[in-house]
Parts: sequence; C-alpha cells; structure tokens
Amino acid sequence: MMSGLADLDRLLQLMLWISVAMAVLAMCATVVERSAFALLAARRHRIEHHYEPVIRRALAGDDGAERVLAVTPPTRRLIVASMLITPLIDDRDPQRIARTRSIVERMLLVPLAERYLQSWRWWRRALALRVLGLLQIREQTPALIAALDDADADVRAAALDALTDIRDPAALQSIVVRLHDSSLQPARRLAALTACGQDIERFLLELACVDRVNRLNYARALRLCGSERARAALSEWVQDPRPEVQAASFEALAHVGLDETSAALAIDGLNSDVPMVRAMAAHALHGWTTSGDAAVRLAEHLDDVWIVAVRAAHSLQTMGPQGLATLQQHASRTDLPGVLARQMLWEITALC
Amino acid sequence: MLIPAARPAVLILDLLMALYFIVWSVSQIAMGLFAVAHVRLHQLRNTRRARALVVRMTSPPLVSVVAPAYNEQLTIEESVRAMLALDYESSEIVIVNDGSTDDTLAVLTAAFRLVPAPLAFAQPLRAAPVRGAYRSMSEPALLVIDKENGRSKADAVNAGINAASGALVLVIDADTILERDALSRAVLPFLEDSTTVAVGGTIGIANGCRIQAGRMTDISLPKSWLARFQIVEYMRGFLLFRLACASGNAVVLISGAFGLFRRDVMIAVGGYDPTAIGEDMDVTVRIQRYCRELRRPFRITFDPNPLAWTQAPEDWRSLEGQRCRWRRGLHQVLWRHRGMIANPRFGLVGLAVLPHVAFIEGMGPLFEMMGYAVVTAAAVFGVVDWRSWGVLMAIAVLCGTAVTFVAVLMSDVVTRKYMRRGDLALLIAVVILENCGYRQLNAWWGLVGTFQSLTGKGGWGVMKRKAFEGT
Repeated sequence: MMSGLADLDRLLQLMLWISVAMAVLAMCATVVERSAFALLAARRHRIEHHYEPVIRRALAGDDGAERVLAVTPPTRRLIVASMLITPLIDDRDPQRIARTRSIVERMLLVPLAERYLQSWRWWRRALALRVLGLLQIREQTPALIAALDDADADVRAAALDALTDIRDPAALQSIVVRLHDSSLQPARRLAALTACGQDIERFLLELACVDRVNRLNYARALRLCGSERARAALSEWVQDPRPEVQAASFEALAHVGLDETSAALAIDGLNSDVPMVRAMAAHALHGWTTSGDAAVRLAEHLDDVWIVAVRAAHSLQTMGPQGLATLQQHASRTDLPGVLARQMLWEITALC
Repeated sequence: MLIPAARPAVLILDLLMALYFIVWSVSQIAMGLFAVAHVRLHQLRNTRRARALVVRMTSPPLVSVVAPAYNEQLTIEESVRAMLALDYESSEIVIVNDGSTDDTLAVLTAAFRLVPAPLAFAQPLRAAPVRGAYRSMSEPALLVIDKENGRSKADAVNAGINAASGALVLVIDADTILERDALSRAVLPFLEDSTTVAVGGTIGIANGCRIQAGRMTDISLPKSWLARFQIVEYMRGFLLFRLACASGNAVVLISGAFGLFRRDVMIAVGGYDPTAIGEDMDVTVRIQRYCRELRRPFRITFDPNPLAWTQAPEDWRSLEGQRCRWRRGLHQVLWRHRGMIANPRFGLVGLAVLPHVAFIEGMGPLFEMMGYAVVTAAAVFGVVDWRSWGVLMAIAVLCGTAVTFVAVLMSDVVTRKYMRRGDLALLIAVVILENCGYRQLNAWWGLVGTFQSLTGKGGWGVMKRKAFEGT
C-alpha cells in the first residue's frame, strides 16, 4: 500500500518536471525566436538603408550606382534584389521594368533565377517564375509556358502570374489553349487572358469555331476581353442547347454590346425556361434603346423570379425615356416589383 | 480512519488531474505544429504578387459587408469609415440597425448624409420586419437597413444577408475595425479555389491601439491587465486550435467578428439561427455538415493574419457575461450537432475536432474545477499534504504557461504585432500571470455557463463600450 502511494507520488514529481521542461522550453523558444528575428530585421534595415539611395540613383540611370549594385556581396544580393523587384508588382511602368531588368542582369541574378527554376523546392520554382515575369525577361517565355505543366499547383499558378506579367505575344496561343485546363486556377487563367487584351480575341474565336464542346469557357473569356468582333459568334452561341452556354453568351453580349440581331435574340431569351438565361438575357439588354418593345418585354419580368427581376430592373434603368416611363408605370405598385421600380427611379435621380 | 482510507483515492485524482493538464498541453502543442505547417504554407503561397490578383482583376466578385449594429453610437462611425477604406473596390457596406435605443442611426445619418430610400430585396432568410432603408449621399456603397430588434445578432445578420447583392457576404460586428487589405486577403481563396465556401480570419484586440480615420495606426499592448490576458488568450484560441483545424479543412468556428461566406451557401443552410447562443459556431458547423452531406468538394479556410480588430471587455462583469454566454453557446452547438460527434461520415470534423471540442473544451472546466475543489479540500482536511497540492497547482500553471508561450511564438511568426522594446518582458509576465488565476477564473465561468445551460438560465449580457483611442 505504502509503496503504491510512493509510486504515485514519484509519478506526480515526474509530471511536474515534464511541465517545468515544457514551460521553460516554450519560453526559451519564444525569446530566441524574437531575438533572432530582431537581429535579422536590424541587419535588413541596415542593408535597406544603405542601398536605398543607390537603387534610386541606379533606376534614374546613374552608371556608377549600377556598378555598385553589380558588385553587391552575395550575402546581401537577395535583399537588394527584393528591394528592386518587389515594387514592380504595383508599378508596371515599362521604363522602370527595363531599367530594373538591366540592373538585375548586371547583378547576375537571372542565372540564379534559372537555377531556381530547376530547384526541387516548389516555392523556389514559383519565386523564379514570378521574378522572370515581373522583369519581363522574354527569353524565358518557353520556360514559363513549360511550367504550366509543373507537378505542383502553386508553381502552375505562379507560371500563370508570370505569363500575365510578361505580356509576350508569343505566349498568347499557349494561354488560349490552356483555357480549358482544369489543373490551372480559373481566376488566374482569366487574368492572364485579360492581360493579353483584345489580341487574344482572334485566337479565341478561331478555336471556338472548331471546339464546340468548350463554348462555355470561350464565352466566359469573351466576357472579359471580347469586342464587337465577337458579337456574331456570341449571337450564334445563345442558341446553343446548353443553358449555361446561353447564359454565358448573353453575359458576354452585355460586355460587347448589342446590334439589332443580337438584341432580338436577347428579347427571345427572356422566354427561356431557365431563370439564369432569362436573367442574363435581361442583363444583355442593358442600355439598349433602339428597338421599341425591349422595355415593355423587360417590364413583364419585374414579376419574374428575383434574379431575373433585378436584372430586368437594372436594364430598364439604363434605357433612357422608355425605361424611365416603364419604371414609373410600375412605381405605384405596393408589392416587391413596385419597390424595385421605385428603387431604380430613386437611384437615377439621387445617385446619377 | 477515514482520512488514511481516502488518501489513495485523492492521490489518484491528483495524478489524473496532472495527466489531464499534460495531455491537454501536449495536444495543444501538437496543434501548434499543424498550425506552423499551415502558416508556413500560407506565407509561401500568399505572396504579394499572388494577392495582386485580387486588386488587378477586371471584374472581382461583389462582396457585401454585413454589420449588425445595436447601440453602437460610440464606435459605429469609425467602424464604417474603416469599411469604406478597404482596398477592395467591388464591395457594398450593409449596416443593419437592429432597433438600437441609442443614437446609432442618428450618428450614421449625420456622418454619412443618409436619406431614406426605397430598397427592394427578396427575403430568403427569416428576420424581424424592416422599418426602412437608407442610402448615403456621400458614400454610394453604403446602405443602412433599419429594422425592429430581433433579440439576436443572428436575426440582424440575416436581414443584412437578405439585402446584400454580393455573391460573397462578409459578416462582421459593428465595432470591428477591418485591416485595409482584409477583404482582398479573404477573397483570394475564393478566386484560387472555386470550392471555397467560407474564410475566417484572426481577430486582434483593439484595446490600447490607436485608430485614426478607421485605420489601425499604432498597435500596442493595452494598459488594462484584463485586456492583456485576453490578448494571449485570443492568441491561444486563434493561432493553435483554429489554424490546426484549418490545416485539415475542419474549421468549426468562424468568428462572428470576421467571416466571409458564399451567400448561396449561407442561404442554403438557412442563415444564422436566431435561437443559437453561439450563432457563429452554429452556422460554421452547419456549413460543414451541409457540405459533407452533399459529398461535394468544399473548403473552409482560415487566414492566420489579423484581418480585423475588436474591443475586448475591460470590466469583470462584461467579461463574465461574455464567457458564460460562450460556454452556453458551445454546449448548445454540441448538443444540436451531437450526431456528428465521433461520426466517420463527417470526416475529421466528426472524428477529431468535435470530440476534442466536446471533451477538452466542453468538459474541461468541469473536470478542472472539480479537481481543484477536491484536492484543495483534501489538503485542508489533511487527507494529502500541502506539498502534493502545490505540485498539482504548479503542473496546472506550468502546462498553461507552456501552451500560451507556444501561442505567443506563433503570433510572433505570423504577425510580429507586439515587437516594441519592453513588449517581450511584458508578454512573459502576462503569460505567467494569466495562468495564475485568470485561467482558473475562466474555468469557473465555464462551469457557471455549463450550469446555466443545464438550467436554461442566463442572457446575452451587456458589454460596456467605449470609443476607440485616437478617434
């Protein structure tokens, strides 16, 4: 009995020492980490303080400053590179990019980025891709395109970011071809497309002619970068049997604008059985004032399901005197469409 | 005679208590390891260039910021200015005045030139009647819904979600101060992964910080010890358990002070439940349940960076009310979703997270207080000596201290918030003192809250508000 109690007591003592060890270790880890960070931060601050005026002069074209940067000791090179390259994320001035590229090349950082591209660590590959893109080193475009097939999703995302930044016409086709690649992030795919501007529209339309299966993706892309050139194709796609393609095509038509034919199709689209198609058809009629009965037809949909009613009301708001008159007719109603009409009228007078 | 007979039983209880503290702290430190992995991955992925995607997008998703306000006249103007100063352009601000009895509406009207305006919206979620809508003549993105008091935050949020036009809704408290890049950071997971349904963020404590024009301009530790204790407590809560859950897509609590949700998912689960005491945990668990029952890929993620700041109570009464309410909320959620606990159908949430919440968070205070009481009584009556009592108390304090230091370490790695000269010494003192009384008091409030859950007593409680510093 007594020895059992003594054992329990000893166990309790052991637990006390375990707790002491855990508490002391955790406190030491906190203190050491803070101290290490403070030292590194102070070092970084010193380097930044030293190189900031040099970088400013080098970017202004001072060859002497550029020579100083070129011989930056290897231990400081990455911090200086970060000071040079990070501002390019927000500042895409071509002159600044060109100056920075020239400095970075003299600092022999491009070979380092190329080495990083081969690294087994995904974050190094991603870093290298982003740097090459931000600096617009177009000799590396093939490497950027190849990285779209990297095994790691984050590297593929970085490759898309880089292709967005590099704006190399040679990459256009590769970006369009990847439009349906589900291994790439949709938002980044679209960002890369948008960065290419309307140059990409031609490729999209050519591919869409032979690839009916993926019309949905083409329509979504044209919603961002389409122009009047895409109107005929989109007018054809709104008659596709798939409702999601119809809806996306109407949405893209809202972006590129209507003509008589497409407006008639949008008015027909208001009769669809699918609410999202009716909503997007109503949205496509945004600002359309040419044909007479669009406002009347939209007004009928103020009583439709909510997503259609809202789109119809917003389109009526942009239809000039016809839309205004239609909204005024409904404004006296006491139900939800009446409130919606009054809201649109209020916005026209108060906010515009 | 009785005393020697009871001694082994008390010693065994003593030992079990010590074991509980050690297992608890080891499990928390293990969570810290998962959290570190999650944070490191987050830092490698969320580079400045990656985040630039949100700002550069030609048509980013519209986000409706929904903030329910009940008697918030002291802080509402500053909070709304912070919402309007967000770096994410595609947003609307929906303030729901939940039948305030103070001058909340008048303050908003004067500050933002509000005028009554017709507003049409469908009402997929049930909420108390709306008395009117107001639009700002100076800030087109601002919308104020004035409604009858629905007796719960959930009711007001539901009204706000009904009126929201965005595909995403950010639910915050009216006294939440948002970081300028909070939305662009929180929206990014939705853009990167279309299966994302909700994103939570770490909440910082605004007490002691300076806020100007709705922006946090100076972060420092507050003067009040009570607020300081809550700072390290928040670090423990947000940076260990929730981040560990996030690493396994098993988040069960997105704080009511900051949560970004897909509006259609929120509507599909029926919005916030006005009868729920812990409405934020309840809705998060329901989203987990809904998505897992559908068996479709989904992601609920958590940003370790402080995206929002909130005031912590600085008086004991408010704090007690808040903690008892949280405890009642926890028990209610666990009871409502008891079918998920230990149920393999709900994956990691069912098999690990909810059992942990039920037994460590839910039963912990009960076990802890009972142990303290029995061992103290045994020492008083001479059943065990005071040395054994002291050893147990030391283990309790040391284990708590170890876990809190790990949380402070995590906070340093993620945010580098309190890095002034002298902050480290102060934080060490706060960590040690927090475990010498405050944590035990919290366990007591947990017990009171548990008792209130069983008896059906207890209300929402009132928190004393004060204006933000520097306003």
